[in-house]
Amino acid sequence: MNLLENTRLALEGLRANKMRALLTMLGIIIGIASVMAISTLGSAMTGSVSKTMDKIGSKNISVYLTPKNYDSQPTMQPEDYITQDELDSFKTMYSSQIQAISLSKSMGSGELDSGYIHKDVSITGANPDYRLVNNINLVQGRFVSDRDIQSSRNVIIIDTTLRNNLVGVDGDPTGMDITVKTKTTNETYTVIGVYEKLVIDNPLFNMGDDTRVECFIPITTAMALGSEATTIPGYDSLTIMGAANGDTTAFAKTAKDYFLKSLDPLSDYTIESQSMESIVSEATGMLSTLSLGISVIAGISLLVGGIGVMNIMLVSVTERTKEIGIRKALGARNSAIRSQFIIESIIICLIGGMIGVALGAALGIFGSSLLKFPTTPPFGPMIIALCFSMGIGVFFGYYPANKAAHLDPIDALRYE
Amino acid sequence: MRKKIIEMRGIVKSYYLGTPNELEILHGLDLDVYEGEFLSIVGASGSGKSTLMNILGALDRPTRGSYFLDDLPMENVKDEGLSRIRNQKIGFVFQTFNLIPRSSALNNVALPMLYGGKSRSERTQRAKELLQMVEMSARSHHRPNELSGGQKQRVAIARAMANDPAIILADEPTGALDTHTGRMVMDIFHQLHQEQGKTIILITHNTELAEETQRTIRLKDGSIVENYVNQKFHLEGRYESA
Repeated sequence: MNLLENTRLALEGLRANKMRALLTMLGIIIGIASVMAISTLGSAMTGSVSKTMDKIGSKNISVYLTPKNYDSQPTMQPEDYITQDELDSFKTMYSSQIQAISLSKSMGSGELDSGYIHKDVSITGANPDYRLVNNINLVQGRFVSDRDIQSSRNVIIIDTTLRNNLVGVDGDPTGMDITVKTKTTNETYTVIGVYEKLVIDNPLFNMGDDTRVECFIPITTAMALGSEATTIPGYDSLTIMGAANGDTTAFAKTAKDYFLKSLDPLSDYTIESQSMESIVSEATGMLSTLSLGISVIAGISLLVGGIGVMNIMLVSVTERTKEIGIRKALGARNSAIRSQFIIESIIICLIGGMIGVALGAALGIFGSSLLKFPTTPPFGPMIIALCFSMGIGVFFGYYPANKAAHLDPIDALRYE
Repeated sequence: MRKKIIEMRGIVKSYYLGTPNELEILHGLDLDVYEGEFLSIVGASGSGKSTLMNILGALDRPTRGSYFLDDLPMENVKDEGLSRIRNQKIGFVFQTFNLIPRSSALNNVALPMLYGGKSRSERTQRAKELLQMVEMSARSHHRPNELSGGQKQRVAIARAMANDPAIILADEPTGALDTHTGRMVMDIFHQLHQEQGKTIILITHNTELAEETQRTIRLKDGSIVENYVNQKFHLEGRYESA
């Protein structure tokens, strides 16, 4: 009595009762489909988070001053700031682990006035590394250069929407002078570049429609022109882009310790640092735990499905008592009867599992495309799901099959 | 001296319906069946016919007594051993045919060979030959519910022959058939007996049918009350009485 023969027998049995077989499978189908869909969605979500983080800058480490006690809302003292000297020696010390350090100072919002166009803009002073670290996509001209920094030039990089307003989509605004009025300044800048705003197309990170136009000027220009906060010669935050193959989470700690050394221990402020990688792994870790948790809950429906299979197998054994008696009279051993019923139960579960995997994968693909991160269902869980449904077949099929195997042939033959 | 296929000595079968109530169905039967014999067992219902048939067919064990089937002692045989004996040594033909409803005639005939571990090609080949023997080749792919009673019984006889058993046990094989088809079935048994020398045990309450066989055993209340060679075979004079 080999596997093939038993499979044939079992399929014969199932064909005779298609509707019942399908209803029996339903529990397994629903269970497997939900586990599959959730694991696909889970991997879509983690994938989507990592992709978005990559866009923002996966190797970035932010270092910033933060109050030791938020409630007291202390004011930052000029000596708390990270100085250029500290920064320079930090850079020299860890040059192998640093790709770039982005520095910026916000000048706040202002109004652009180019004669016939009035527009609200915000002005940020930036250093040349800002472009690399923040993934600024320059489409025309250039970004802030070292010479712009050295001579605190009045140059400005605008975004594509502003360019479109000024000179149209095909126009070249570089060399144009524009005047921006802020609370404390009224300056004319020469446009040197145009960048395209980073669009994060991810429903998980709904950042709102930011219609504000951000323009960049050299950070030294901002410090020379700006209000009280911007003129302080130091930085309250910086973003380090770590080496491509470095451990940014460890380096974040190093950076924090380094800058803490020169901070007065009695200051109301302290230094904190955080690597993007640690944020990503925290977020993806949370997502996988979440999807695992939901999968386990969905798995309970598999248990229910398994009980359904056992129930129907018991009914089937009772219905086929006479057949079992005939088979035994013809010389079927107990083991042959047992494997016939176990294989039938495995086949019910396996077919149910396959339908469930297909359904769950389809749901997962649909769901992940809603998340704007189309994902192919993970292969591992697919195999696990199929093995698991086979396991359910064996587990819940064993008792009915054993019952069938131990029927007394005389009683079974007499059964009507 | 002809070979004994069946040798039963002091077969007792009793059921314990809780002590001290013991219901004894068979009271120490002795029975010998020789190779190539066509024997009938008759008796009214309740005479112990079915119980005897179950023991003969290795579906049940006697409470006491010894039973040799084709020189195999049947005492102390485990369930698995009984399965094997049923598979290899015995061909059952039932009153209600007992074909597997979802399987074709061909698969029904092949089933004992499947349990006997024969290869698929061997099974199909032999099943086809057997169906041809009972003139059922044309309907080999029909399911039992597509066959008439006589056709079903012919398939069942073919199935009983599948593993070339030592005895064929036919329990009221014509009981569910009309006279005409019943006749056809009996003819097949005669043919098997005469042409292939099969040992056949026919269990029936129909005395007319019993008279067609070589020897008849009459059971009454769990004992053999008559054991006689039928008239038309009497002259051959090769039957010893019990």
